Amino acid sequence: MAVESTKVYEEQIERFSAFDRVLHWVTALAFLYCMLSGIGIAYPKFHWLLTFLGGGEFARWLHPWAGVVFSIGAVLMIIKWARDMVLTGEDILFLARIKAYISGRHEELPEAGKFNGGQKLYAWIVFISAIVFFLTGIVMWFPENFGIGLVRWSVVIHEIAFIIAGAFTIIHIYMGTVGVPGSIWGMIGGKVSATWAKFHHPRWYREVKGE
Amino acid sequence: MSTLTTGGTVGLGVRRLSATKEPDTSIKSYPELAILVDISACIGCKACEAACQQWHDLTPPIMTPEEVVQRKIAGYQSHPDLRPDLFMLMKFNEVETSKGFAWLITKYQCMHCREPGCLIACPAPGAVIQYQNGVVDFDHSKCIGCKMCLVGCPFDVPRYDANNKPWKCNFCIDRVEAGLEPACVKTCPTQCLTFGLKEDMVEKGKKIVESLKKRGYENATLYDPPGVNGTGYIYVLPHGDHVKDYNLPESPRVDASIGLWKGPFKTIGSIALWGALIGAFLQLILWGPIKVLGGKEEKREEG
Repeated sequence: MAVESTKVYEEQIERFSAFDRVLHWVTALAFLYCMLSGIGIAYPKFHWLLTFLGGGEFARWLHPWAGVVFSIGAVLMIIKWARDMVLTGEDILFLARIKAYISGRHEELPEAGKFNGGQKLYAWIVFISAIVFFLTGIVMWFPENFGIGLVRWSVVIHEIAFIIAGAFTIIHIYMGTVGVPGSIWGMIGGKVSATWAKFHHPRWYREVKGE
Repeated sequence: MSTLTTGGTVGLGVRRLSATKEPDTSIKSYPELAILVDISACIGCKACEAACQQWHDLTPPIMTPEEVVQRKIAGYQSHPDLRPDLFMLMKFNEVETSKGFAWLITKYQCMHCREPGCLIACPAPGAVIQYQNGVVDFDHSKCIGCKMCLVGCPFDVPRYDANNKPWKCNFCIDRVEAGLEPACVKTCPTQCLTFGLKEDMVEKGKKIVESLKKRGYENATLYDPPGVNGTGYIYVLPHGDHVKDYNLPESPRVDASIGLWKGPFKTIGSIALWGALIGAFLQLILWGPIKVLGGKEEKREEG
């Protein structure tokens, strides 16, 4: 008698819709270009980066246009995701126990919904910094059309926004790729495994399953 | 540094370059140069303006009488402001002073600050050069067009052209290098302009100020603003209590905001971004990725 076997594949859950993914990557690539060209422009030691981004003049020309793409993307993100990103008491607790999260002591953490406290914090950094980048960036783009005092302080504020958003983006990229295995599929293809969802975002998993 | 090529071994010698470490200047040294502008001797003929345009091959558009009236520049000035194709401009102003009505004239162009805000703010290595003789010049081949020189300038001088490159007075560096005086000095018919070593110009300026004071201009001063460590153009102002009316800033200095984002914030930014990178790596090797923890669910009967 032949043994019949049927393979049961692990259940996959849609985490980000096609629109979400396109929005994320357009915004992300625009931001990445801005970040790298910004580092190349503002930090003389990294001036060589501009060579890989099309040369100094070109990078300086594209930086503000990429910034416009990033800003539009960020505004759409605010419209689409801001409501999901409201920080609750549990998220604050998560952030307070961030050490337990990064050291793998999972049991000490509150259960996360679709987004955990860290992801929500990063979302707000992107939302707010995008507005700050845009406003100060416009002033720096056309310095002749604004008061010199405003232009000078815009440069300082643009830099502060870069420091905060830049550092958190490095962490975001790390967490999305190597730091949390499996999470990248939420933004590539859009589906994550049920096991992954149940472990990292149990409340969201239950909502999706209607439990 | 590879950017430290301007001048080479036969050139002018470089004192400082934008976005580059302070070079060793012990091999080649040259004393500072300056142009003394004795406004008490100026008749407002604008020959210097014409000579400047001629030497630099500039052809700024000539304003129509209607435009002149419209811009309320009273017909004295050739243009309302500096332009990318206008490196220097005679500015005129009419004011009431303690001596009664006065006609104030200023030769307005890059001041060649010894502490140049444009050079300090410029992020492109080598795009702004300060030569040993104190002259500040732009290298368009290294300029990326970010307009930070404009942000850093305390005198509102650099003007950008359609190629997104800044222009300003370069002290006729090509003439100076060949041992000639700048074009404006060469043409001045009243010896209002004198070119020479900075210390000689300061000395001469002080003497003129003293004689002006004796003649009743008790407010006469020598304008050589210490906030930017002195300038390459220094002015004898007969009405020294009216610096602003001469269209000159009273105490120009490189704005504090420039030092802030060029200094402390660069350090903080480096620490923050390298810190994030190193922090992520440490998380990886100390605790490892945050993996889904396996295992079976233990069901316990409750209460």
